[in-house]
Amino acid sequence: MINAIKSLWEGHWTVFKHLFRKAVTLEYPEKKREPNEAFRGKLTVNGCIGCGVCKRVCPSGAIEYQKDDEGKVRSYSFDLKKCIFCGNCAYYCPKGAIKMTKNYELATEDKNSLCLNYKGGADD
Amino acid sequence: MTITKLKLNLGPQHPSTHGVLRLILELDGEKILSCEPDVGYLHRGMEKMAEQMSYIQYLPTVDRIDYLAGCFYSELLCRIVEQALNVELPDKVRAIRVMLLELNRIASHLLWTGSFLMDLGATSPFFYTFREREMILKYFEKLTGQRMMYNYFVFGGLRKDIDYLEDVQEIINILPKKIDDYEKIITDNPIFLKRTEGKGILDKETALNYAITGVNLRASGVDLDFRNGDYLYKGFDFRTIVLEEKDSWARYKARIMEMRESCNIIHQALEYLKTAPTLEQRLINPLNLKLPEGDYSAQIEAPRGLASCFIRSDGGDKPYRLKWRTGSYYSVNLLRKLLVGEYLNDAIAIAGSLDFILPEVDK
Repeated sequence: MINAIKSLWEGHWTVFKHLFRKAVTLEYPEKKREPNEAFRGKLTVNGCIGCGVCKRVCPSGAIEYQKDDEGKVRSYSFDLKKCIFCGNCAYYCPKGAIKMTKNYELATEDKNSLCLNYKGGADD
Repeated sequence: MTITKLKLNLGPQHPSTHGVLRLILELDGEKILSCEPDVGYLHRGMEKMAEQMSYIQYLPTVDRIDYLAGCFYSELLCRIVEQALNVELPDKVRAIRVMLLELNRIASHLLWTGSFLMDLGATSPFFYTFREREMILKYFEKLTGQRMMYNYFVFGGLRKDIDYLEDVQEIINILPKKIDDYEKIITDNPIFLKRTEGKGILDKETALNYAITGVNLRASGVDLDFRNGDYLYKGFDFRTIVLEEKDSWARYKARIMEMRESCNIIHQALEYLKTAPTLEQRLINPLNLKLPEGDYSAQIEAPRGLASCFIRSDGGDKPYRLKWRTGSYYSVNLLRKLLVGEYLNDAIAIAGSLDFILPEVDK
C-alpha cells in the first residue's frame, strides 16, 4: 500500500515537472522547420547527358525519356506523383545532374505541374 | 440457463489495433471464448513486387515492410546480396550498421512503450517517449535525408560516411536518464500493475509452438537472441535480457531493459567510430547485379522478433522468388490462443504487449 502511494506520487511528480517546459511544436504554416542539408525533397535536373541510369534504378517508374531516330535522349520527365523520394537517381547519376532540394511542399491545384518535363539530354 | 454468445468485430479501424487489424471475438458476457484475427488489409504485395524489379530498384521499398524499423530490412536484403557475392564488409561499415540498427531498435521500442501505455489509458508517457524518439529520427534525417525511409544501406556498404557523431553521443547520454523517468511513472504504478501483472501469460511451450521470437520469447524465459551469433555484432559485448515472469508486465520490462542494453551497444560502436579512419568500402555495382543461380537466406534479430529473407535466384537480375519472414505475423497468430479466457477490456492490453505492427504482418 505504501509502495503504491509512493510510486503514484513519484509518477505524478515526474509528470508535474513537465508543466514548466518550453513548447516544442511549431505553428505550421506560419512557422516552418528548416530541413537538413541531406533532406530528400523535390527533384531538380541540370546537366543531364541522357545515359538512362536513373531510369534503371528508379523503383517506381517515375522517370521517362524519349529518344530520337539516332537513339539519343532528347527529352525526359520526372513524375513526382509516382516518385517515392528514395534518392536512388540522384545517388547513381554519374554526372551529379539530379539534385534533391529541401522543398517538401508539393501540394498543388494543377496535377500536371507535378510532372517535371525537361528538354535536351544528349547535347548537354 | 442458456449461454448467449456475442460475436464482436474489433477493428479494422480501431485506434488501438496498431494499424488495420480485425479481430473477430466470440464473447460470453465480457469473457472471450474465441478470437479469430483477420489480416491482409495492408497487403502491398512486397514479395510479388520483388519478382518484377531489379535488386537495386527493390532496395528502397523494403524500408516500408516495417516503417518503424526500416534499417533491419535494408540490412537483410544487402546481407543476402553480399553473402551471395562473397563481399566482406570493413569493420567500420559493420560498426556503423550496428549503431544505426540499435538506434532504430530504440526508436521502435520507444514508440511501442508510448502506444502500449496509451492502450492502457495513460496519455503522458506517449508524449515523453515520442520526444526521445524525435531525437533519434532527427539524427536519421540529418544523416540519411529522411525520417523513416532511410535507404542508407547499399549493397557492399553505405551510401556515405557517418557524420554528426556528437548527436548520437547526446542521445545515449540523455536516454538512460529518460528511461529512468519512464520507469518512475510506469513500472511500479499500481494501476499499470493491475492491468499487466498475470495477464496474457505466455508459457515457454506455447511460445515455441507458435514460433514466437524476439522480446516476447525472451520475456517467457527462453534465452534466444539472434544477435549472439550475428557476424555484424562480432566483437560487441552485450547481455541477453531473459525474464521469467511470462506476462504482459515482463514483456514491458524486457523492452525497457533492452533499450538500456542497446544504449550500451551504441556506446561501444561510438567509441570505435570516434577514432576510426575514413570510410573505405568496395560497393557492388548495382546496374549489372545478378545473383548466381541458387537459394539464399539471411536472418537478423529485428525489434519484433526474428526477421529473415529468402531469395531463389535463377541467375537473372531479378529474384525468381522472394520470401519475408517477420516476427509480427506470428505474434498476431498467437492472439487466437492468448486471448481465450481473458476479459474484453484486457484484450487490447494483451494484444498491445505483443508489439506487432500490421505492415509487417501483411507485407
